[in-house]
Amino acid sequence: MDDVHVTYRTFGGKRQVEGAKKPNWMRQHIGAVDLVKAVQGVSFVAHHGESIGLIGHNGSGKSTLMRAMAGLVPLAGGAVYTDGTASLLGVGGALMKDLSGERNVKLGCLALGLTPKELDAQYESVVEFAGIGEFIQLPMRAYSSGMGARLRFAISTAARPDILLIDEALATGDQQFKRRSQERIDEIKEHAGTILLVSHSMSTIRESCTRALWLHRGKLRMDGPVDEVVDAYEDSMG
Amino acid sequence: MSTTAEAERPDLDGGDLAERYGLRKVGGRPTLRVYIRQVWERRHFAIAFARAKAYSGNQGSYLGQLWAILTPLLWAALYFLVFGMLLKTDRGIDNFAAFLVTGLFVIRFINGCMNGSAGSIDKSHNLISSLQFPRILIPMAYAGSAFINLVPALVVLFGISLLTGEPIRWQMLLIVPTVLMAFVFATGLAFFSARLVDEVADLNNIIPFTNRAIMYSSGVFFDLSRYGDGTAHTIMSHQPWAIFIELARVAVLGGYTVEPDIWLWALGWALLTFVTGFIFFWRAEAKYGRG
Repeated sequence: MDDVHVTYRTFGGKRQVEGAKKPNWMRQHIGAVDLVKAVQGVSFVAHHGESIGLIGHNGSGKSTLMRAMAGLVPLAGGAVYTDGTASLLGVGGALMKDLSGERNVKLGCLALGLTPKELDAQYESVVEFAGIGEFIQLPMRAYSSGMGARLRFAISTAARPDILLIDEALATGDQQFKRRSQERIDEIKEHAGTILLVSHSMSTIRESCTRALWLHRGKLRMDGPVDEVVDAYEDSMG
Repeated sequence: MSTTAEAERPDLDGGDLAERYGLRKVGGRPTLRVYIRQVWERRHFAIAFARAKAYSGNQGSYLGQLWAILTPLLWAALYFLVFGMLLKTDRGIDNFAAFLVTGLFVIRFINGCMNGSAGSIDKSHNLISSLQFPRILIPMAYAGSAFINLVPALVVLFGISLLTGEPIRWQMLLIVPTVLMAFVFATGLAFFSARLVDEVADLNNIIPFTNRAIMYSSGVFFDLSRYGDGTAHTIMSHQPWAIFIELARVAVLGGYTVEPDIWLWALGWALLTFVTGFIFFWRAEAKYGRG
């Protein structure tokens, strides 16, 4: 990643600058457009076979940085270069709650870029992995939150990207499903050359990463071996 | 924060480094040729998405998919009641019911494509922010779902045509090229509205008004001869909405004719709108999904 900047445009609200005079009432309601600079000039090189943890407070730009790596958000500046495909684990956005699980599996897999042939080959295993029984024929709005999460996870792990981006707390559900999803993630990790993981759990980061990046207010504060960076981060939190 | 030796070579920037190691740039806008290829590769997703959207629109009710037929029937009944019985805008048009409903369904389809895809980028924000694919598939899928909804409407339309005494003729087959060209045209419009509304969300509030203006002026409720035979008539009978309505009437109404060159006009409008719309949308590819 080379000097990456990401800026969001938000409608319907403006932040108040400290010290400035209170903005006129109209400005909060008409023409209320603000710019949020989520990532400001981050550069780093990730090598093949590295597992990198991204840490930082809420709103420090971790998830945005990942989305930028996968080419999902437009960059306000800089560029991202990769060898192979980067993909974010999670297809929640492609699913429709009015449709049955079956149709959602098909839609989600095609959204991931599988060909209809690959879909036919994988369909059974995805449904079987989700393990929600005959609920697969009901619309997703009838699912419990756990069942929905299981189906989403099963679909999103149907593809095998070269660079895997994981946004924390993927393994949800009961104990048994957690164990199975952990196995599945490990399997994908073996295939992927490089992994980026966002998590607030320092033990997860220490366990599964070799290097860590600490983001603070959209800027890279520290980059180095995982223990060093995590120690510094924990010290700063007191 | 490269730890490699190149980091100490300030004369090399990221782009040069990337090139040396054979890396590709992520995101941004691909060339038009590559873009078209990516769209083609992901066509199955667009089709599945369009079908899912059309299907889910009728879910969640007791009658379910039966609404695909009931909705156009109710529209036809309502408009015939208001414009045929109450306002009597027929002015001597034969089989005004079929005349009116044909125009209505064609215009509702084209406007529906434009209206539906207007906010499509914003509505698909979750999809855009979790998966990488050519964004133009979104307005395409929205237009596709409107097209799927058009099919039962056409069944209703021919039902009305036969019930009101129109004979079965070979010209009925002309509905196929007509709706295909209208679909290509409407998809082109969808590309325009999708990008414009993504850039300036306020335009979304304007589109319903332009849609109505087009509907009231394109000869849905009256014959185009009302424009006289001067320049106004020439313009109003060669604008795309009126053309597709007229061609659909050739298929639905016995004895209804158009000048042969109208077919070429239809093809021209369809291709022109689709191609310029495609390029227009593609040029902003790197900007969709800014929140």
